[in-house]
Amino acid sequence: MTGPLIVQSDKTLLLEVDHELADACRRVIAPFAELERAPEHIHTYRVTPLGLWNARAAGHDAEQVVDALVEYSRYPVPHALLVDIAETMARYGRLTLSKHPVHGLVLTSTDRPVLEEILRSKKVQPLVGARLDPDTVAVHPSERGQIKQTLLKLGWPAEDLAGYVDGEAHPIELAEDGWALRPYQRQAVEGFWHGGSGVVVLPCGAGKTLVGAGAMAEAKATTLILVTNTVSARQWKHELVKRTSLTEEEIGEYSGTKKEIRPVTIATYQVLTTRRKGIYPHLELFDSRDWGLVVYDEVHLLPAPVFKFTADLQARRRLGLTATLVREDGRESDVFSLIGPKRFDAPWKEIEAQGYIAPADCVEVRVNLTDSERLAYATAEPEEKYRFCATTATKRKVTEALVRKHQGEQTLVIGQYIDQLDELGEHLDAPVIKGETSNAQREKLFGAFRNGEISVLVVSKVANFSIDLPEATVAIQVSGTFGSRQEEAQRLGRVLRPKADGHEARFYSVVARDTIDQDFAAHRQRFLAEQGYAYRIVDADELLAGN
Amino acid sequence: MGTTTPPRTLAEALRARGDESLAGLLRARPDLLNPVPNDITQLATRAGTRASVVRALEHLDRFALQTAEALAVAPDPAPYDILLSLLTGDGLDDGEQRDDVGAAVTAALPGALATLREQALVWGEDERLRLVRTARELLAPSPQHPSPTGLGPTVAEATAGMSPGRLQEILTTAGLHATHDPVSAVAALSALFTDRTRMAELLDTAPVEALSVLDRLVWGPPYGEVTPNPTPPVKWLRDRGLLLPVSTRTVVLPREAALHLRAGRAHRVPEPAPPVVTAAAERDPQAVDRAAAGQAFTALSTVEELLKLWNGGGPAILRAGGLSVRELKRTATALDVTEPIAAFWVELAYAAGLLATDGESDERYAPTPASDEWLDLSAQHRWTHLATAWLPATRVPGLVGGQDAKGRALSALGPELDRSAAPDVRRRVLALFAELPPGTAPDPETLLRRLRWERPLRGSSPSGEGTDLRSRLALWTLNEAELLGITGRGALSSQARALLEEGEETAAAFLAPLLPEPLDHVLLQADLTAVAPGPLERPLAETLSVLADVESKGGATVYRFTPGSVRRALDAGQAAADLHAFLAAHSRTPVPQPLSYLIDDVARRHGHLRIGAASAYVRCDDEAVLNEILADRRSTGLRLRRLAPTVLASQADPGSLLEALREMGYAPAAESAEGDVLITRAGARRTPPRTPPTPVPEGPPVPDDTLLGAAVRAIRAGDTAATVIRKDPAEGGPSSTTSSGSLPRTTSAETLATVQAAAMTGTAVWIGYVNAEGAASQRVIAPVRVEGGFVTAYDHTADEVRTFALHRITGVAELAEDGKG
Repeated sequence: MTGPLIVQSDKTLLLEVDHELADACRRVIAPFAELERAPEHIHTYRVTPLGLWNARAAGHDAEQVVDALVEYSRYPVPHALLVDIAETMARYGRLTLSKHPVHGLVLTSTDRPVLEEILRSKKVQPLVGARLDPDTVAVHPSERGQIKQTLLKLGWPAEDLAGYVDGEAHPIELAEDGWALRPYQRQAVEGFWHGGSGVVVLPCGAGKTLVGAGAMAEAKATTLILVTNTVSARQWKHELVKRTSLTEEEIGEYSGTKKEIRPVTIATYQVLTTRRKGIYPHLELFDSRDWGLVVYDEVHLLPAPVFKFTADLQARRRLGLTATLVREDGRESDVFSLIGPKRFDAPWKEIEAQGYIAPADCVEVRVNLTDSERLAYATAEPEEKYRFCATTATKRKVTEALVRKHQGEQTLVIGQYIDQLDELGEHLDAPVIKGETSNAQREKLFGAFRNGEISVLVVSKVANFSIDLPEATVAIQVSGTFGSRQEEAQRLGRVLRPKADGHEARFYSVVARDTIDQDFAAHRQRFLAEQGYAYRIVDADELLAGN
Repeated sequence: MGTTTPPRTLAEALRARGDESLAGLLRARPDLLNPVPNDITQLATRAGTRASVVRALEHLDRFALQTAEALAVAPDPAPYDILLSLLTGDGLDDGEQRDDVGAAVTAALPGALATLREQALVWGEDERLRLVRTARELLAPSPQHPSPTGLGPTVAEATAGMSPGRLQEILTTAGLHATHDPVSAVAALSALFTDRTRMAELLDTAPVEALSVLDRLVWGPPYGEVTPNPTPPVKWLRDRGLLLPVSTRTVVLPREAALHLRAGRAHRVPEPAPPVVTAAAERDPQAVDRAAAGQAFTALSTVEELLKLWNGGGPAILRAGGLSVRELKRTATALDVTEPIAAFWVELAYAAGLLATDGESDERYAPTPASDEWLDLSAQHRWTHLATAWLPATRVPGLVGGQDAKGRALSALGPELDRSAAPDVRRRVLALFAELPPGTAPDPETLLRRLRWERPLRGSSPSGEGTDLRSRLALWTLNEAELLGITGRGALSSQARALLEEGEETAAAFLAPLLPEPLDHVLLQADLTAVAPGPLERPLAETLSVLADVESKGGATVYRFTPGSVRRALDAGQAAADLHAFLAAHSRTPVPQPLSYLIDDVARRHGHLRIGAASAYVRCDDEAVLNEILADRRSTGLRLRRLAPTVLASQADPGSLLEALREMGYAPAAESAEGDVLITRAGARRTPPRTPPTPVPEGPPVPDDTLLGAAVRAIRAGDTAATVIRKDPAEGGPSSTTSSGSLPRTTSAETLATVQAAAMTGTAVWIGYVNAEGAASQRVIAPVRVEGGFVTAYDHTADEVRTFALHRITGVAELAEDGKG
């Protein structure tokens, strides 16, 4: 038995974690294979065309990929798979987009039949101009994004060598006084800057904001930062003021309430995608300055219209930040073609092992419904079933018990349904943050929570993203957005920030037994288990009895 | 040929051969043996039959064939030197780069001649080599079959029907002495063409365009189209016999002239040596063996999976035989391969005797009993079994999905898939692999070229490259060998080499250490998966595949536990405790808590609800009565079972249960589905409202009064019309007619008057009437008014008011008074 890797016929790679060569193997396969699941013993990587093209974009060739597989594989690698890999990788770079001194943007091919093939496609025809010579065709500069998207769909991804505009220069430096970028953050910044544009994948709590700041310090140019919501925007601003040479005045917020355009502008997806009379009035933000860098926070949540605008921004450097490339809508290929290939990624567990994020103990608490609740659940309308079982009264009791158990620790109670949260807030005597809570009030409450003035906070899904609660050590999830995996990851992220005392974080999910709540929970937790977070299942009765 | 006198016939030549040599002939041409010839003469005759010669020629390699072709255009008999010069050329042209070819031909020719001699295609001594006549006919040029050499007929043949006068002209124009004897004329012309010096001189005088015409014809085909008034260069050639007429519009370049232009060569490129099979890649022989063994293992698991898939009865057989496209697609999906590859596995299992039709009335495919034995073999023997079944198989899975000559689709396991050339090609391809050093992957292109050289005639298509059956078979062989693990990464594996050269046991011994060792453990993980990092021992794999779903296959197997899969295991009779013990025993790592919890959680609910069938029940609020019934021995036949303290279930139907309990002295009441007591009363059953059936009388329905009245009236009126006694309108008048039954005839004036009178008096009259179609009839009418040439009247006959045109009334008669009564 040699080799830690097993190649499966469905193009997944199984990596035995405890093998002595596992780390070496992980390093060589990471560039071309996506880590799909990372439970305790065997990690699963998947080889996809996108992954192989990502590797090509990062300068790896098919020979390296094949060698890596053959070297570390325990069993002979099917020849057909190796051939397939070589063929797939050879498709990248046959077409290149580049700048021509006379004709502007041109698409060049090293393989004439490929050019013929794609030019014959109806989808490509409107995007290209005159045929300059047998191997070159002009491309309308405004279609740079579109053509990349289209070519990827046709299976001939184009390498974009057309370069970037520098944008309006603006001095930005990292203020590394008493702190420094962590090694992996530095690698991420370098990887991104070297590649020009692309996506950095880091787990929640691993300091993606700092990667953004690092990229800005490299670009030294005006920067547009797109974030999910206002709170997140404030956090970015706060962090940038603290970590860089930028001052409050240099950073503008462009949101529903404020419309500031400054050298560094932080805008929310929501305001960009606001539509009035069929047009997007805030789109001009993209053109309002000569941006040198566009940062997309939480790329996996990027709304569809933003993709459309991004297609027009191909001449600017773009940095995507995310915890996961998994998109529930399956638009991973658009992220690849419009923002760029993956430039850096570090598995969650690896960063945890380095001590940068807190280890977590995940517990699913199964609650038995009472007989009357069961009857009511059985007769509930199908669309009401989840709401009903997710908000049963029994859950409240269990939640209260859990809060009591962790008295004195900073505890977040997270839920989906406002009634349930209000009720919980009342019973726990804790403030509730929900959609209607004003931003000022939210920040006040977050501040109080951070200082330890209040130890229990009940939050709705508005707090799912990008809020920074450094001292939360216990999270109790009472209901969620059905089976959303990324929500689960974000919520776990709430408690994964490094703790001052190195205390182990706890993540509870309260789930109603034998209902669809349990099915959804299983779906979410499978994701966690695949991320390497083993979880336990505890019966509520035991928990209540144990108290 | 140790005899002193040279043989005069093939039979004599054969007779002179030793036994060994004759055996060689029969080995090379086994069709001569069937049936065994009586004597050498018969053998020689049979060896000269067309079918046998064709078959023998098809088995020649390219150079032997070229030699035979050269002999076919050489004089008969031909000395060795002439043959050699036909193959190498006479060295008078661009000699230098031909030298190596010439040397190779000189070296290879004796071998090729020996082959032809052994096969009795050529006989005679070296000085008088003779090609068997049939072979000569087959290979010699004729207008119908252009020769592979591209040479035309000889001067003698081409001038056979030519007039002596025309020959004279040719001779004169060519600068030869005229002669009246056609034979010597032809000889003179041939001599000119074969004389290099004189011929060269002649051609030196030719116009340039004439030479370019010759260039077009020299390497064949030698025939050209001409117009009745040829261009000057063509005319120049024709006048000198360099082009001889075949028909009015076709000319041919005679063989002698062509040979001169070709510097005496029969073939443009003689190919004395087989093309070398070159290496596409050199690989580490161990890596090749490992890769092949890996593929062999995949082959075994795929075939096993196929057998398992069809275990409970496979797909139905098409009426024409074979698998339907849909079933093949389904199988391909289940095996996670493409359809052509699925067809290969299905055919392989069939060829290995592991699958067959079950012969039932709705015929299906199913594993054979032999497949069970096969499954019990060790992995290496399972592989040799498959490989030895594959080598001689004539069924060609590569054809599946194509069409036969009649345009019918060829289906997997169906008819028409046999190609007799397949095993031969397969053996040859593998033999060529085996000739390379271990670890060498041959370049398929050179391999195909080599195969074409070895059997240029067999199954070749004129269009050439890669499309002929043998090339396709060879390409399929390459693919199949890789799939089966005969080759690994394109090179022949040691195990396959052993199989080809030494047999199954050696091959199995080679393969055994390369196959992964079956494992007895899996790795359980918290995301509810189990990973078997290699093949599992069969019992473990079987249990696990019930307890969990297979998620991914390959070197390892990934299983996923779901509530459904755990329930399946519980349904299969396992208890939760068994499952825990099983997992604990086979897991290298502690069983994750969520997995244990999942099993317990499913087990907790499993069997919570019980379903069974009963055909009747007994319900009683008094438990004691039920106890009594159960205790009663007479109730045993009712197969009663207590479901609850107050309920018994029975397998007997409600009627018999009632009867039996009554006999036992109870007074049971029947219960409806709603729980009401059923009261038994005769005739209590009613249909929904129904109308009684209408009787079906024998004849037509009885008419009603209206109809009857009308009918009577009509009958009556017709009767009246027929039987009235008419008054003669004008007694004794010339135009009158009195004979009853015929139309009345009156003049038009009389008619008008009579009708007008009748209209006034309101009496009926009898008229004769001819309608628009010219049909005459008699009617009784009561005129109402007369105007505009029309009479409006009540027509008694039709019982309605009608209008009659006066001019159509042939005559009119008043009715007799008594006749009206």
